Amino acid sequence: MKRITVCMLLMSACLVAAAQEQPKAPAKASQFVEPAKKANESASDDGEKRFEANCGRCHNAPENLSPREARAVVRQMRVRARLTAEDEKLILQYLAP
Amino acid sequence: MKILWGRKPTLYQWFWACLLILSYGGALKAQSDVPIISGGVGFFDNKEGGANSFQPVIAPVVAIPIGDRWLIESRSNFTGVFNRQDGTTGPYQGQFFGTLEYLQVDYSVNSALTVTAGRFLTPFGIFNERLTPIWINRFQDGPYIGTIGTAGGYADGLMARGGWDAGSGLSINYTAYASTLSTVNKLESERSAGGRFGVFFPKTRLEIGTSYNKSLQGARGNSEGLDVSWDPYSAPLDVKGEWAHAPGGEGYWIEAAYRLSQYRGGSSAIGRLEPLIRMQQFHRGQLIAGDFLPGINERRPDFGVNYYLPHEVRLHASYGRQFNDQRDSNIWEFGVVYRFLFPLWPGRD
Repeated sequence: MKRITVCMLLMSACLVAAAQEQPKAPAKASQFVEPAKKANESASDDGEKRFEANCGRCHNAPENLSPREARAVVRQMRVRARLTAEDEKLILQYLAP
Repeated sequence: MKILWGRKPTLYQWFWACLLILSYGGALKAQSDVPIISGGVGFFDNKEGGANSFQPVIAPVVAIPIGDRWLIESRSNFTGVFNRQDGTTGPYQGQFFGTLEYLQVDYSVNSALTVTAGRFLTPFGIFNERLTPIWINRFQDGPYIGTIGTAGGYADGLMARGGWDAGSGLSINYTAYASTLSTVNKLESERSAGGRFGVFFPKTRLEIGTSYNKSLQGARGNSEGLDVSWDPYSAPLDVKGEWAHAPGGEGYWIEAAYRLSQYRGGSSAIGRLEPLIRMQQFHRGQLIAGDFLPGINERRPDFGVNYYLPHEVRLHASYGRQFNDQRDSNIWEFGVVYRFLFPLWPGRD
């Protein structure tokens, strides 16, 4: 019985230790993710600027678009608002990040 | 087909059938690009000189991307007009009208050139192409000169359009088209040619454009136009205007809208409010039957307000005073518009 109790205590200690270590792992990973996230945010900001410069002169941004809906919308606006390929890419990131 | 429908299908119905078939085929080819149906539903009340009318409207837009370069798009408009039998008295009566506004195939060669074939909105000025959708137009009705140079609003033929960055903080855009004569029901168009050339300054969001249209039938008149659009970054202000001239007359409209989003943000109760003002004037030239222009000189200021509710719903109210040589009148307008957008069939991203 003592052995079982000791084993359970050891396992619990290991689990607690593992649980305490877990946040460290994402923290390390986040150091690599952060620049990518920043790049995405920057692209989204650029996309917002492009949206405001082109589409926003006539209408507001559509609400709650899924990525595939956004792709169709931007394809249509590429023709109507004469968007460049770069505009299209950035506006797509802004509408459906 | 004849057995199923009980009568020979019209060209209009053939177009819709082709659209559905192409949308299905297009989606099979490119699963990632789902066709969408979007547009607006509205209900408008207009009271002009004491005569009231109601207008329910639905305007669906279908867009079917196929691969990276092809796009099929269409917009229809179904409007009901209900008036009192004797103008200001009597029971309401009315009817519905259906219009195919565009049904076009676009091929994007690059950002400087897209070739369009089919039925499209005539590219003259900025109102007809950009501002006619009920979920975009800030006032319920169009300006007096909205039909100048548009040959009825729609063209059946070929169009080339595009734009490019010209450096020095400006970009150029252009549209050129040729339309053929069509007397087919729902697909009527006039034989004409023309286009628009615009210069856009992205840093100040100022665009200036000039348009030209040559009618190639009937009186063979020319139409010319100038347009301006300014949306400064420093304030939620939108200013748009047009001047146009045709043998049937000339005139201008200028409109300004200021969204109060600088007060506690665009989602606050006051930030959803948008006061509007518009001034327009028209001088009649030659009387030409069927040019959709006012028969006499007119001028009209409008004052309005839009309120943007969540979920793409917009409320509108406006008051205008119409001045002319025969009878001045008040124009009251109220309306609600819902803008929708759905994929044509369910699926995953």
